[in-house]
Amino acid sequence: MIRDLERVRNIGISAHIDSGKTTLTERILFYTDKIHQINEVRGKDGVGAVMDSMELERERGITIASAATHCEWDNHAVNIIDTPGHVDFTVEVERSLRVLDGVVLILCSVSGVQSQSITVDQQMKRYEVPCIAFVNKCDRSGANPLKVSGQLRDKLGHNSVMMQLPIGLEDKHEGIVDLVTMKAYYFEGDNGEIMVEKKIPADLLEEANAAREVMLDEASLFSDDLTDALLEESEITTEMIMAAVRIGTISRKMTPVFLGSAYKNKAVQPLLNAVLNYLPSPLDIENVAIDMDNNEETVALESVFDKPTVALAFKLEDGQYGQLTYIRVYQGCINKGDTLVNSRDGRKIKAGRLIRMHSSQMEEVDAIPAGHIGAMFGVDCASGDTFVSPSVNYSLIAMHIMEPVISLSIVPKDNKAQINMSKALNRFTKEDPTFKTYVDHETGDTIIQGMGELHLEVYVERMKREYQAEVETGKPRVAYRETITRKAPFNYTHKKQTGGSGQFGKVMGFLEPCEEEFEFVNKVTGGRIPTQYISSCEKGFRACMAKGPNLEFPVTGIKITLEDGGFHAVDSSEMAFQSAARGGFLEGYAKAKPVIMEPIMKVVIETPNEFQGSCMGLINQRRGIIQGSQEEGVMSVVESQVPLSEMFGFSTILRSGTQGKAQFTMEFASYKQVPQSVAEEISKKKADEKAAKNK
Amino acid sequence: MLKKDLILKSPVERAIGIENIAKGQFGAVLSRAGVGKTSFLVQIALTQLLADQKILHVSLDDPMDKINLRYEEAYTNLVDNIGYVDPQKAVRLWDDICPNKVGISYTESTFNTDKIRDYLKSFKKSDLALPSIIVIDGINFDKDVSAILEDLKGLNQEFGVFIWFSMKSHREEALSEDGFPVQLEAVKNLFDKAVFLQPVDDKIEAVILKDGDRIDQKHKLNPATMMLAE
Repeated sequence: MIRDLERVRNIGISAHIDSGKTTLTERILFYTDKIHQINEVRGKDGVGAVMDSMELERERGITIASAATHCEWDNHAVNIIDTPGHVDFTVEVERSLRVLDGVVLILCSVSGVQSQSITVDQQMKRYEVPCIAFVNKCDRSGANPLKVSGQLRDKLGHNSVMMQLPIGLEDKHEGIVDLVTMKAYYFEGDNGEIMVEKKIPADLLEEANAAREVMLDEASLFSDDLTDALLEESEITTEMIMAAVRIGTISRKMTPVFLGSAYKNKAVQPLLNAVLNYLPSPLDIENVAIDMDNNEETVALESVFDKPTVALAFKLEDGQYGQLTYIRVYQGCINKGDTLVNSRDGRKIKAGRLIRMHSSQMEEVDAIPAGHIGAMFGVDCASGDTFVSPSVNYSLIAMHIMEPVISLSIVPKDNKAQINMSKALNRFTKEDPTFKTYVDHETGDTIIQGMGELHLEVYVERMKREYQAEVETGKPRVAYRETITRKAPFNYTHKKQTGGSGQFGKVMGFLEPCEEEFEFVNKVTGGRIPTQYISSCEKGFRACMAKGPNLEFPVTGIKITLEDGGFHAVDSSEMAFQSAARGGFLEGYAKAKPVIMEPIMKVVIETPNEFQGSCMGLINQRRGIIQGSQEEGVMSVVESQVPLSEMFGFSTILRSGTQGKAQFTMEFASYKQVPQSVAEEISKKKADEKAAKNK
Repeated sequence: MLKKDLILKSPVERAIGIENIAKGQFGAVLSRAGVGKTSFLVQIALTQLLADQKILHVSLDDPMDKINLRYEEAYTNLVDNIGYVDPQKAVRLWDDICPNKVGISYTESTFNTDKIRDYLKSFKKSDLALPSIIVIDGINFDKDVSAILEDLKGLNQEFGVFIWFSMKSHREEALSEDGFPVQLEAVKNLFDKAVFLQPVDDKIEAVILKDGDRIDQKHKLNPATMMLAE
């Protein structure tokens, strides 16, 4: 393992679906000699790309789980995580960004910045990850890398700077002009593995000079040496330019743009060089942890091997040899046999077998030092757990996890399927924090929850293939919420004093709407409610939030202020005040004009222009609000907000309405109050369900 | 109440009269480049939104984001113009009316009326209320646009939607006998309303060229906010 961290790169490859991530990674592995044969993603040769190790990924042509791989290029260690572009799998992208130091953002040279590119960009901003852009598919009809670079500026606000120019586009795409070295590069050999340097074609020289001027102008902002050289018209070295661009990129003030065609084996090697030249090493990134023993103060971590170990478990996989835990080590070193502490639950573990991953194949190693990504076998933990040396008690900032918005009931077909289903669910929930499962105590149904229809569909399919657990699925259920719309008082006495030991508790206060999910404020004075019972009151209120009084949906957005109350010296107890609180909540809730809220999804449809009108019509029919539509070349983008309850089966309808040419993405936007007619429908449905259950 | 106050303070109310905005076939806002046609059109559309109507804003110049930004700015200017308004109330009102606005961005080569027709049809199909007006910003009236206007006339008749246009005039061109810019003169019979914006001193003067009994009325506007300056 390369220990000189300046020569390590931990990178992710992120983009919108079908931008060519997996194909690009396949090429990278080939050129770095990790694999010996290139296999196309859509399985034309019947094999499928190496990176998409799950059958389902290969079949659907989409990448689902993130796969990590290690390779070496020009004496540097490069750890790559290939991540899914579909928005239903955003947690995988979030997870990867948490542990990576840099990202290659892939954009299609025809479609440019698309909806998921925007989501990925927001994620990169959240974790402050520097990126370089690769405009892929320059061999496609309609390819326009300059336009895409412009979109990076206009739509994502990047300071995008072209570092290359194409030599020919579409079917004439032959190579690239490197604006730093001012040389042309062509790619020969069966798989483009031989990079040939030549002079820039005469007809491109003027354009190249102009583009270089622009690039130097931007780069000079990050280098006094370069600025001086430009002003004095003295020699500008390649090293000077690269150093400046590197500073600009790592500080996220600049996004260098490269281009090529992974599928046609063009310009992947220069991209690899760019990863080494411009993306950060672990030494360039400041990582922090929280010191749990010191008032949760932030502590800067150092990528050195002799300090206490701090590592993050960012992905779990249950394989045939047990649980595989992917980790990024931020400080210290995990050696085989080391004792580590899980700072979440304080449990000690021993680091047994240590692995370095290559898609689905493993390579055993003796240690995983700071700055590197690897995996441990046989460690029981959850995704997001921090592992540290026993001498410290740090926690790394947890990943940002979204609440599921859709649920589905699943029923195993037979007893064998039931057992296998449980195993499958156990594994999937550990691996993916946005995938949840529980048993509905009323119906006995097993319910799975996730971020979208596709998210759940994939898990149902995986249960069948990987665990031979065939299940029948019910109709998807929307995660409605209840809330209140106005302030309402309560004044409730819980009293059971019929002789012997009784119960007594009195609570007075008010409920009001708030932005947070739940807030409890205690304003009781003078011991009117003894201090020891205040927490019981809060407990009672919280219990009511789990299931709304009206329709039993979770309640959200309520602030409860407890102002006054009363107690009995003998009959008051924690139980009594919990009951009083529940009674008070119900009383106030009924007066507070409760309403039902439904999840609203941001739906972005990309369609050929001819279908723009009908796509907008489809949204209109679904109680959707169209925010706008924009034509971009041959495609239109329609942005809208639509209730999730109206979106089931939308992919089929969209496909049939647009001859299969349109696609859409859907992600959670907010909760909004349902219209009166919908509220009545929901109430009626709930009443029918209850009646059926009581029969 | 806030809605009514905002409508009353709108420059459009004074210049054109709210009751006239959606009656008839076509309306035009004319001026040289950069004077404020789009801003005035947005104010027209805002009056409809405040009256709980839907509007469709089609732009051949601006991308969708910019269209949305223009509406936000126009709303802010209108709110600021009436004096103190509870900010939360203003935000809530915007959240209420904003969903009734749809912006579509085309280029000159990709714009065609069939797309708008399809979109309007989908309202009818879903039994939803149609937009009261369509704003079409960016058609080049220096060219022969008779075919497009004919199509749009058909749309107006089929769906009863009034269409407001922006029309760019040029400094060096002489006005017609009626005082119309050349671009309007050629198609004046199709238009029920026309407002001409011209810079006068440090203000914008809105001159009513066509609008029943308001013809030749002039109103001064603040160039930064498009609010009445008098």
